[in-house]
Amino acid sequence: MNPCDDAAAVLRYLDNELGGQELETFRQHLESCPICQVRLEEERAFSIVVSRSRPLYRAPEELRRQVSEILKQRRAAGSGLGIDEWLLRVLQRPVLSRWPHLPLGLWALTLLAVSLCLIFAPDVVRRMHAASYVETAVGTHRSYLEGRLAPEIQSDSPTLVSAWFAGKVPFDFRLPASRDSNPVYRLVGARMVSYKGRNAALVMYETQREKISLLVASTRAAEIAGGDEVRSGNLLFHYFSQEEFKVITWSNHGLAYALVSSVSASARESCLVCHQNMPDRDLYRTRP
Amino acid sequence: MHDTTLSRYIDGLFGYAMVLTRNPAAAADLVQETYVRALKAKESLRPSSNVKRWLFTIQRNIWLNELRRSRPQIVELEAHDDIADVAIATSQDPHAQYVSKLEQEMVRNAIQGLPVEFREIIILREYERLSYKEIADMLGCPAGTVMSRLARARAKLRILLLGNEQSFQQTESQKAKGRSQEG
Repeated sequence: MNPCDDAAAVLRYLDNELGGQELETFRQHLESCPICQVRLEEERAFSIVVSRSRPLYRAPEELRRQVSEILKQRRAAGSGLGIDEWLLRVLQRPVLSRWPHLPLGLWALTLLAVSLCLIFAPDVVRRMHAASYVETAVGTHRSYLEGRLAPEIQSDSPTLVSAWFAGKVPFDFRLPASRDSNPVYRLVGARMVSYKGRNAALVMYETQREKISLLVASTRAAEIAGGDEVRSGNLLFHYFSQEEFKVITWSNHGLAYALVSSVSASARESCLVCHQNMPDRDLYRTRP
Repeated sequence: MHDTTLSRYIDGLFGYAMVLTRNPAAAADLVQETYVRALKAKESLRPSSNVKRWLFTIQRNIWLNELRRSRPQIVELEAHDDIADVAIATSQDPHAQYVSKLEQEMVRNAIQGLPVEFREIIILREYERLSYKEIADMLGCPAGTVMSRLARARAKLRILLLGNEQSFQQTESQKAKGRSQEG
């Protein structure tokens, strides 16, 4: 597209939102286009006027005092872990290795206390279930890497694989067709697995160097929570680094997804393995 | 994360609250509530998280919830003297300060004359310098929507600013005329 026809190109250039080839093309165009040069200068001048009024508002002294008081009270209360955070961390560790020296009576009391806490802290239970789903996804992925879970259907066609799952899993599951004409990854196949006594889907992908697996279960069985949360559009993604693997979980339309790979990047950047040639690739780059 | 990290965003949060509510008292309440909620959720914040975007998102969610809960009571007020009172003063010589204050008032009034979705996107981009992607994440919309909304907001703001500038110049020239006639 001629950059002149893209009215937003000047603004994106001004906002440092153009990158790579787009930036280069626009710079070259700008050198020879007086219309865009004028547009750019107008927008720049306008931006300067707006910027000169920064900050637009200053918090009133009374509000500063109140906020300072809130922060002071918090400091006075201590910055230890919240009860549910503490519970979660404790419960995720092997109990015997934490307190091997406790006598039997104290064990019983501890178990009672933990049970009561679980009753009154449903969020903890939810997060434990979510952690369990992540662990299962990692375990399944490891089995796939070690050749203990071979695909039951081998196909690179999302349509065929989706059709194979029909009637096998207790949910309607359709793999999207790749919109990328030159995908970095390819669909290898899929198989059934079991999660909490219900059938779930394991879909296998490959890049040139990596194997990627996608575990899909009903949200009736699997919980999605925790990790490093990043919202993108209507979806909330949860990023985990577990053992040597990167795990991304999300839920959509009643299905819980866990994507596991072992790329040597942050969990968020691992999305770039598949998205690097897609228009949304910048979503997954870590800003400096 | 230290609490001082949180307190450094108070002006930005108050500015954002002002463009959302257009009411200094409501804006102050909103900022206070944001800090209370942020402290409660502090443990969930990862070292790699963007604290600023996190705080602004909390504030936006509180505002949206309040809007849903008590829609009949929320009335957008016109910009008035109270708003001007909380504007920042610049540390320049008196004349420059006067001009700067007038210009700032013009910009502020023009922004407050925009629809809320334009006010919001202008403050997030032009004042808080959030990237298109960060804004898209906050607003829960595609980056393309941010781009087009921002372009429309800027165009509208430009028109409003031009109107304000022209009326300001007219007022100034009338004053000057009046002074010369008196002389």
